[in-house]
Amino acid sequence: MPTREELALVVRTAISDVLGTEVEEVREQTSLLVDYGIDSLELMEIGARLERALALRIAVEDLTGAQSVGHAIDLLEARTAGQP
Amino acid sequence: MSGPHTQGAHPLGGRRVAVTGIGVKSPAGNGIEEAFTSVLKARSTAAVVGRLVDQDLPVHIACLVPPFDLDAYVTRREARQIDRTTALLLCAAADAVTEAALPPGLAPDRVGVQIGTGIGGLPSMEAVTLSHGERPREMPVHTVPRTMANSAACRLAMRYGFQGSCTTYSAACASGTTAVGEAARRIRYGQLDAAVAGGTDSAVSTVVMGAFARMRAMSARNADPELASRPFDADRDGFVMGEGAAVLVLERWDLAQARGARIYGEVAGYADTCDAFHIVAPQEEGEVAARCMRAAVADAGLTPADIGHVNAHGTSTVLNDRAEARAIDRCFGGQPPPVTAVKGVTGHLIGGSGALEAALALLCGARGVVPPIANLVSSPEADLVDLVIGTPRTVAPAAVLSNSFGFGGQNACLVLTPEQ
Repeated sequence: MPTREELALVVRTAISDVLGTEVEEVREQTSLLVDYGIDSLELMEIGARLERALALRIAVEDLTGAQSVGHAIDLLEARTAGQP
Repeated sequence: MSGPHTQGAHPLGGRRVAVTGIGVKSPAGNGIEEAFTSVLKARSTAAVVGRLVDQDLPVHIACLVPPFDLDAYVTRREARQIDRTTALLLCAAADAVTEAALPPGLAPDRVGVQIGTGIGGLPSMEAVTLSHGERPREMPVHTVPRTMANSAACRLAMRYGFQGSCTTYSAACASGTTAVGEAARRIRYGQLDAAVAGGTDSAVSTVVMGAFARMRAMSARNADPELASRPFDADRDGFVMGEGAAVLVLERWDLAQARGARIYGEVAGYADTCDAFHIVAPQEEGEVAARCMRAAVADAGLTPADIGHVNAHGTSTVLNDRAEARAIDRCFGGQPPPVTAVKGVTGHLIGGSGALEAALALLCGARGVVPPIANLVSSPEADLVDLVIGTPRTVAPAAVLSNSFGFGGQNACLVLTPEQ
């Protein structure tokens, strides 16, 4: 199971790949909606990349429901913790 | 009757249509002046493309757009969602729109986007098929918006908020000419006040190149790429694939003049017809193409004698060049003006060609110079048409007829008139 730090790097990397930013620009408090005006296709692409990187099914609500990148990492951490 | 109130009126009704901005991303140069200089030098831009050699395709050569700073035009975020066909169009359009400096007061629904593409998103769909055909569940989420045929036009409309008619024309190799002509019609007859019009294609891909090669439509002069594209020459053996985009900003003449815009000239006439003869071969006597040329000249309110030179489609295939020479001969009743064909330099940009050539033709018509045809030494069609060979021909500034003919028997002709 990845540590929260490892998970955070995977998430921030997936986001920065889709948004064309540097990883450092994606912080815990970043809001993809407010700061980047992200659309649903971009969110789904981020989700698809995370599913591949983490070998994990990700519910769309985990992405759309997150208030910030940090919140999304927390939700994912809870999911991965539930894995066998 | 003349004066400021009638200057904007087309002699055959409706409004005159001004060209107030031009942008190109083409093998001959990434600006219209560079492309103009390049075609006057009549040196081919064709070269061996390494990946075509690696893939063991029968044709190894193409005319590619020289590298430029894409980041200056497209954010990395947007670049991940679009293909090269769309990127080249957005870059050419950005240059054209910047140059035109359209006034901020234009109503968004009076500005349209009219784009031609012959191949559209097929190369990017081909890439997805090769990369994800065995793993369809992992396909990129943006596959549909990246590959759909109207992607380029709609990305362009989005970028500037142009909310008027946004249309994508697919008329094979005539697509760019069709788009410029249809855009001009929409302004002339009152549907739009301005339009961003042009064409784009970027299809130097394995499947597209392989498919054209299977028809033996392309030159296989792999050892001498710079000699491969030779419109109307006795030793031609097919066209050379190019890529690129060209965009013209068109405006109602009176509005452009009132705001003091730089006016390159006018899209004065347009016509399109279909051979309805064969799915790829032109009707060999050029009868329908000749009628298309005559109709375009008449649509401009001119007669064939008013045309200073012809920018031929001139692909460097025997079937096209021979039929086109016959068509030009028919149109001009045995007294054709000088004929040039810039594909000897640029290669065939498919959907991009018509728009690039309209822009070049307008500059040549205004400056009274007709580029020589690259690689043309002697032509079996020389008894039908006055082909410009060797050095640029000086002529009086005048209207130009620009031809495009496409697979499917698509004929499209524009008449471009310099500002007088």
